[in-house]
This record gives sequence, structure tokens and C-alpha cells, in this order.
Amino acid sequence: MRMPFTGPTKPPPGPFRDGFWRSPLRDQRLTALLGLILLVGLPVVIVTGLLSNDAYQPGLGGNALGRDIHGPLDVYLFGWPTHPGWLYALGQGLHVTLGLALAPILLVKLWSVIPRLFEWPAFRDPAHALERLSLALLVGSALFEFVTGIFNILYWYAFPFDFVQAHYYGAWVFIAAFAAHVVLKFGTMRDALSKRAEVLGTPGGARPLAAPNPAPATMSRRALLAGVGGASLLLLLQGAGQSLGGPLRFLAFLLPRGRTRPGPLGFPVNKAWAATGVSVSSVGTSWRLHLHGARTLELTREQLLALPQASYDLPIACVEGWSTTQHWTGVRLHDLAALCGVHAAASVTSVSLEHGTYGRATLGHEQVADPRALLALCVNGVNLSLDHGFPARVIAPALPGVHCTKWVSEMLFEPVSVA
Amino acid sequence: MRRLRCTYGARPLHLIGLVASFALAAAGFVGWFQRPQDVAGVLEWFVAAIVLHDLVLMPLYALLDGITIGLLHRRVLLARAAPPAISPTPYLRVPAMISALLFAVLFPVILGLGGQAELAASGIREHGYLARWLLACGALFALSGAAYTVARARARARAARGRGH
Repeated sequence: MRMPFTGPTKPPPGPFRDGFWRSPLRDQRLTALLGLILLVGLPVVIVTGLLSNDAYQPGLGGNALGRDIHGPLDVYLFGWPTHPGWLYALGQGLHVTLGLALAPILLVKLWSVIPRLFEWPAFRDPAHALERLSLALLVGSALFEFVTGIFNILYWYAFPFDFVQAHYYGAWVFIAAFAAHVVLKFGTMRDALSKRAEVLGTPGGARPLAAPNPAPATMSRRALLAGVGGASLLLLLQGAGQSLGGPLRFLAFLLPRGRTRPGPLGFPVNKAWAATGVSVSSVGTSWRLHLHGARTLELTREQLLALPQASYDLPIACVEGWSTTQHWTGVRLHDLAALCGVHAAASVTSVSLEHGTYGRATLGHEQVADPRALLALCVNGVNLSLDHGFPARVIAPALPGVHCTKWVSEMLFEPVSVA
Repeated sequence: MRRLRCTYGARPLHLIGLVASFALAAAGFVGWFQRPQDVAGVLEWFVAAIVLHDLVLMPLYALLDGITIGLLHRRVLLARAAPPAISPTPYLRVPAMISALLFAVLFPVILGLGGQAELAASGIREHGYLARWLLACGALFALSGAAYTVARARARARAARGRGH
């Protein structure tokens, strides 16, 4: 016989008493079903999130943006591939779209278990106390990750901290608490879904999820599932419309990213020229591309246009889950590397005229070696516009959008070191 | 082993699993300390998320449901001599729930809170998200109304067939 080690036996009034909870919709099976959906969906969100971290290649140059990437949680397993070209668009599209679609499921799942927050006694034994602490981490980190991620894609930078670090390490708190929850509750979920309601017990004195004295039903559980499923589907379509873009962009009628204007230069802009604060004179006739490798040289835009040009259809895919595929023309990165005497480049760092967070980015040898990786001068048959990075910008397959540096003024090619 | 079970309250594996989970979560917390200036803000948001959701928003939407659709259900439906064959309540609740969930997830854009940042970054500021959301709500209620009409007509037809036999 276990004895409660805190609290009186009679619960205080209100939500601490079983009779307070009267919704006839709550029960173990509803919670288990919502839990199963989250169990299938959230690992995809987690894995695509971690892969996005890898795509930023934080081990190269200044890509980590000051983060210490040698910590135990900084999983940086491999260099980032360039095939298929839509790899990052797919991964990040899944991350954001599934995240949006799972948000209503999470909210209703939390509603379905809220009576457990007010269990009495608050702690039956040390095991119960630890499990509740773990649940606080689970709920806190889940809400934190969804809120920061969603606010970020909606342009509402209300949080007083750096998004990348908060969201990345918060994800690890979530992974830890989520894994423990799955291990502890998987059997309960399986039983709830496979057994009939009458034979389900409640484990070890926990408050039953089904109200002992339910109010008369005013809607069915099926209607509740239609509501949460409908909201989830609409949000899934929002994410898919943003991610696929083009003629399907209209589906994302409530998402602000990736807005398009007509014309060959009308595709989405994530950072407009006006936001850089750079003077227009610096992109005039005095602009030069400075190449650094085994030797240093300076090229005018005319000289770049006189070099062999290549054209490819490549997507710009952003961390906020939108993408857009355009027809780019420019000089191959490995041709530029060869020009400054680097025949096998380990990396290239592109420096922009703009000195913001992503004012410089380093690409690995996979990108430099890929013939589709360009310093683009034209797009869709016309010169780049200022908003799209005139005089020259980087575009490479499967690369996060912010690493496709715009307004490039300098490129530093690092040769492969011969040991 | 049995003594541990008695004092702790669960299998030893429960304890080991939770301690492992806490260790990993703690490493996440340590990661936040790489930016000491951010830690207070991160922890505030972490705790505020739990408190606001569980103790403010959830009671608030339960209350909102109770004083709108719940009240309508009690005053209008239960006051009738004979309850209708098809209750209209779910046909109100489902579109209301979808509209509310859309708002809960997308309120920053619906209320235009990110508009300035959007304009500064992309050079475009779209207006009218609030109207779009309201139109979506209207469409959902209209669809639900149509579904209710069909369900009621079918119930009546069924009842008429039942009387015919």
C-alpha cells in the first residue's frame, strides 16, 4: 500500500475534485488517438528540424553565428548534399507544414488531459512527482517550440531572444521530454486504442480522463475530431501552398511569407534592398567582385558576363517553409575558384555588401563542386534586380535561402588542404 | 528492489528513464546559456507558455464556449417540448472550433502584428488577413449550415418512410 507523502486526503474545491470535470468528450481513447497522431507526426518535425541545422553547415566559417557547435547537442553529422536540388525545400516544407498542421492536435490533446494537471494529492509518491516534472518540461517545451516557430514564420519577432539558439536548444529539451513520455505512455496508448472502454483501468491511482459524472453530450466525439481534423487540414494546406508556391500559393491565404508580384522579378524577397541600408552607389559602375584564392583578382560585372555562363532552374527555399523555383544564369562557382587558382575548393565564403546576420555565408566542397552552383547575374532572362541581389548573388541547389548570399562583393575560396 | 518500488512508487526503469531524460533536457538548458543575455527571456517564455495556456487560455475558451454555444444549447434546444431529430449544436461547434483553432495558431498574422517586419524585410505588406480569416469563418459556417440542412432533410425523409410503413 502506497501512502501519499504530501497533502490532505480531501482535495480542495474546484478543479482539484473529480466532479469538477464534466465534459463527456474526454476519455482515454480520445487522448490515445490524438497521442498517436502526434507520435507519428512529431518525429518527422524533429528530424527535419535537425536536418535543417545540418543544411546550415554550422561547422564551416562563421555559419554557426557565434554558437558553440562543439557541445554534445550540436549534431553536425555530415556535409550537406546538393542532390536533389529540392532537398531543402522538401525538408523545411515538411518541418513547417507538419508543425502548423499538428498545432491544433497538440492543443486538443492538452485539453483532453487537463484534469490531470489538478490531480490531488499533487504528488502521490516520488515517481509521480518526477513524472509530473517531466510533463512540465514536455508541455513547456512543446508550447515554446510551436510558439517560437510559428511567430517566426509569421514575422512577429515578439520574443526577446535569438530565435535560432532558443529554438534549437529548446528542441532538445522537447526531444528529451517527448522520448520519456513515449516510453512511459506507449503501453497505455496501445491499450486504450485496442481494448474496449469498459476494460480500461486507470493506472496507479491517476485521475481518470473520462469524467465520472459527465454532463449530457451536446456533440459527439466524432464531431470533436471533425473540428480538430478540419483545422489541422486547413493549416496543412496553408503550409503546402507556401511550400509549393506557384499556382498553389493561393492556398496559403493566411501566411505572409513568399508573396509574389507579377513579372520575371516578382518572385518572393526575404530581405529587400531597402532593408540593408547600403548606398546605391556601391552597386554602381564602381562595384567589383573581389576573388581570393591562390591569387587575388577583381572583376567588373561586364567581365563576369563575358565568362562562360550556365543556366539552371533552382529553388530558393527558406527556413520559414516557403520556396520558389526560378531560372538562374551566371558563372559556375568552380569556374570562379579556378580563376583564382583554386582547383579543388574545400569551401567558399561569400561576403555581401550588407552586414546583417547573414551578410556572409560559407558553402562546402559539395556546393563548389556542383556545376549547378552559380554566382548568378541574371534570372528568368533579365538582370537581377536590387531586391534579388544585383549585381551578383549566390544560388546553389538544396541550400537554405539565407546562404544564397545577395549583393556579393567578395568571395574567398579555401583550397583543400593537402596533408 | 521491492523496497525501492515501495518508496519510489514505480519500477527502477521508470527512474532510470526519467533521469536520462532530465540529463538530456538539462543539456538543452545549458545550450541556452551560450547567450547569457537571452536566458532570462527564454525561461520567461517557457514558463509563461505553460501558465498562459493551462491557467488562462484553456479556462477562457471553456468559458467562451459555455456562454455562447453552451447557453444557446440549453436555452433554445432544451426548452423545446420535443428535441429535434438532428441537434444543430455540433453544426455550430465544429465551424466555431475550426475558426478558433485557426485564430489560435495564426493570430499574429490575422491581427497584423508582424506587418512592420514584413514590410521592412520583403518590401511588401499585405493587408486584409483579418478579412480573409473572417471570410474563411463565414465559409465554414455556411458549409456546416448546408451539412445541417442535408442531415435534417434526410432525418425527416427517414421519419416519413418510417410512418409510411
